[in-house]
Amino acid sequence: MILNYIGSYSLLFSLLISAIIFLISIFSIQNKKESIRNLNKLFFFQFFLVLISFLSLIILFVISEFSNTTVFNNSHTNKPLLYKISGTWGNHEGSLILWLMILTFFVFIYFLKSNTRPIRERLFTIVFQEIIIIGFSIFLLKTSNPFNQVIPTPDQGLGLNPILQDPILAIHPPVLYLGYVSTSLIFSSALASLICLNVNREWASFIKNWIFVSWIFLTLGILLGSIWAYYELGWGGFWFWDPVENISLMPWLCLTALLHCTLVLEKRSSLGSWTIILSIVSFTLSVCGTFLVRSGILNSVHTFANDPDRGVYILIFLFFLIFSSLIIYFLYQDKIISNKDHFNFLSKESSILINNWFVMYFLSVVLIGTIYPIFLEVLSNEKISVGPPFFNKLIIPFLIPFLIFMAIGPNLKWIKAKKFKIPIRLSILLFINLVIAFLVLKIFDEVTLKLTLLLTASFYLFFITFKDLIKKEYKNISQTISHFGFSLLILSIILNSFLSKEIITNLKVGDEINFQENIIKFKKIESSFSSNYQSLIGYFEINNKHLFTPEVRIYDQPEVITSEADIKTNLFKDRFLVINLVKDNDYLNVRYQEKPLMIWIWLSTILITIGGSLSFIKKYEK
Amino acid sequence: MNFFKYILIILFFFFSSISISSEKNINLELKIFKNLRCLICQGQSIYDSQSDFAESMKLVVRQKLELGMSENEIYSFLEDQYGEWILYDPKFNNKTYFLWILPFLMFLFGALLILRKLGVFKK
Repeated sequence: MILNYIGSYSLLFSLLISAIIFLISIFSIQNKKESIRNLNKLFFFQFFLVLISFLSLIILFVISEFSNTTVFNNSHTNKPLLYKISGTWGNHEGSLILWLMILTFFVFIYFLKSNTRPIRERLFTIVFQEIIIIGFSIFLLKTSNPFNQVIPTPDQGLGLNPILQDPILAIHPPVLYLGYVSTSLIFSSALASLICLNVNREWASFIKNWIFVSWIFLTLGILLGSIWAYYELGWGGFWFWDPVENISLMPWLCLTALLHCTLVLEKRSSLGSWTIILSIVSFTLSVCGTFLVRSGILNSVHTFANDPDRGVYILIFLFFLIFSSLIIYFLYQDKIISNKDHFNFLSKESSILINNWFVMYFLSVVLIGTIYPIFLEVLSNEKISVGPPFFNKLIIPFLIPFLIFMAIGPNLKWIKAKKFKIPIRLSILLFINLVIAFLVLKIFDEVTLKLTLLLTASFYLFFITFKDLIKKEYKNISQTISHFGFSLLILSIILNSFLSKEIITNLKVGDEINFQENIIKFKKIESSFSSNYQSLIGYFEINNKHLFTPEVRIYDQPEVITSEADIKTNLFKDRFLVINLVKDNDYLNVRYQEKPLMIWIWLSTILITIGGSLSFIKKYEK
Repeated sequence: MNFFKYILIILFFFFSSISISSEKNINLELKIFKNLRCLICQGQSIYDSQSDFAESMKLVVRQKLELGMSENEIYSFLEDQYGEWILYDPKFNNKTYFLWILPFLMFLFGALLILRKLGVFKK
C-alpha cells in the first residue's frame, strides 16, 4: 500500500529537516546572525511532513488497510467511522505520531509568535526544541514505526478495546497532548532565557501565554478523561487516584504553581530561578507521563499499550533531558538578575509563595504515592498498594489552610498591604462559615471534625471569591473567575462525596425495591444488535416517572463486555443506574446511585478554563 | 396545628436517624470494598470490579462482618491471606516510612525556603 511508504518517508524527511534546522540554528548562534526569517519555511515543512504522515495513518485506518501493523492491531471493519479515526491515536504508535505532530506545530507557532524576543534567545529555544523533536522522531522510527507492514495482508483486524470506543475518549488524548506538548516550549524557552540571561519581566509576560495554553488544555484534557471515567467505567466515581490519572495531575499541579510564580517574576522581578525550575519540572513530568503510561510499569486500567523496550528508550531520553537541563541550570542560575528584597508577609507575592508551597506539597504527595510502590517493588520485591485513603489522608488536612489562604491572598496588594484592617471582618466571616458548615453537616448527620473544617474552608473560599467576582468590576476577571470556579469545584466535590447515596442489589425482571424515597422497578429486558456489539437493555422505572435504560454490551472484536450506565442529570443531582451480568444466574446486578451536584464538578472546571482563556482576550483589548 | 407540625418533625428526625443507623452497616461494607484491591484486575478495587475474585471477596467481607469482626480485623485477616498488596491504605511500617514521611519533609523544607525569602533568618 502506497500510503505506508508515503507516511514512513515523510517522517524520515521531516527528521532530516529537523536536523537541518538544528544545524542552521547552531550556526546562526555562532555567527550572531541578525535575521532568521528564512527559517519559517523549514518549520512549516517540518510540520507539514509530519501532518502528511499522520493523515496517511488516518486514511489507512479509515479504509481498514490491514497490511499496516498498527491498523491490523487496533482496528476492525465493523467499527463505526468515528472510532476508526480515533483508533489512530488510541494506540502507542499513533499517539506518538500525534505527539510529534503537535510538537512540530507548536514550534512553528512559536517561531511566528516570538518576534518580540531577542534573536539569540529564539535560536536557543529552537535548538532545544529540535533536540526534543529529533529525539522523538528517532524514537518513533526506530522502536514504534506506525507504518510497518504485515505480510501476507490479513483479512480482518484485531479491533479496538471497546471501552475506548467512545466520543469523549476520541478527543481526550489530543486535548491532553496539546497540554503536555506545549510544556516543551516552556522548557526550551526557560533554558534559552537562562543562557541568554533574559530571565526577567519581559520574558515572564511572554512565557505566561504559553503556560496558559498548556494549563488550559491540560485542565480540559483531565476533565474529559474524568467525565469518561464517570460514565463509562461504570462505577460512578470521577477520580480514582489511579496512577495514570495522577500522572496527568502532576504536570497540572506544577503548571498551576508556575502560572502563579511567573506573576511574581513579571510584577516584582523575583523568583526567577524558581520559575526556571518549575518550567523544567513541568516538562519532565509531561514526558514522564508518556513514559510511565506507555511502558507498562504502572498497574492501571489505563495502560492499553504495554511494551517495556520503548520505555527504556524514553527513560534514557528523559534522563538525558533532565541531566542536561540541570547542568545548564547550575551553570547559569547565579547569573539570574533578581530582586533580592525580602517579601513582606502581608503581600501578594508572599501569598503566591504560600500557594506554591502547598501546590508543591500536593505534587510531592501525588508523586511519592505514585512512584513509591514501583521503587519498593524493584528494590525489595515487596508489593504494596497506595490507593485513595493514602491521598485523602495526606491531602485533605492541608487543603483546609490552602483554601483559606487562597481566599485571602488575591485581596492583598503587591509589595505590602498598607493597612490590613480586614482580619476582624475575615475572621467573623470565617466563624459564620464554621456555623453554616456545622449546621449543614448536622442536617445530614455527618458531623466530623475533618469534614466540618474542610467544609468551613470551602464555604469561606466560595463566599469570598463570589464577593470578589461581583465587586471587582472586571479588574482581574481572569483570576476571579478561575478562583471562583475552583471554589465551586471543591465545594461540589465535598458535598458530592458525603451526600452520595447508593444501593447495590440483585434484581429479576418484575422485581421492585425501595431505596431512600425511591421505588425502583425492573420492568423488562430487551436485546438488540449493532454492527460491532450485541446489547442487553434493562428497562427500569424509578418512582413511576423516570425511565432508565442501562445497557450491557457484548462486543465481538475483541470480545469484551462493557456496562453502559444510564445517567439522568439535573442541576441538583445525577441519578445513575448501571447493570451487570451475573454468571449463571437469571438476575442482574443492579447499582443505583444518587450523586448530588455532579454537573457542578464539570461546570466549575469549565469555568476555571474560561477564566484562564479570558487572560488572552484581555491582552488583545490592550 | 402547630403542635402536630412539631410532632411530625420530631418523628421525621427520629425515623430518619433510625434509618441512618441501619444504613451504617451497609456504608461500612462499601467502605471496606473500596479499600481492597481486586488482585486479578488492572488497578480496580473490589467495589469497582465484577470479576469472580472481587465477587468472592465481597462475600468473604460480608461473612466476616456478620461474624462481628471489626473493619481493621478484616483488613489484617485479608492481609495474612493475600499480602499487603490487597490493602489500598498502606500501613505505616518499615517498608513505608519514606512513603508517609517524605511528603511532610518536603513540606517542612518548603517552609524553610519561604521563611528565608521572607527574611526571617536575617534580622
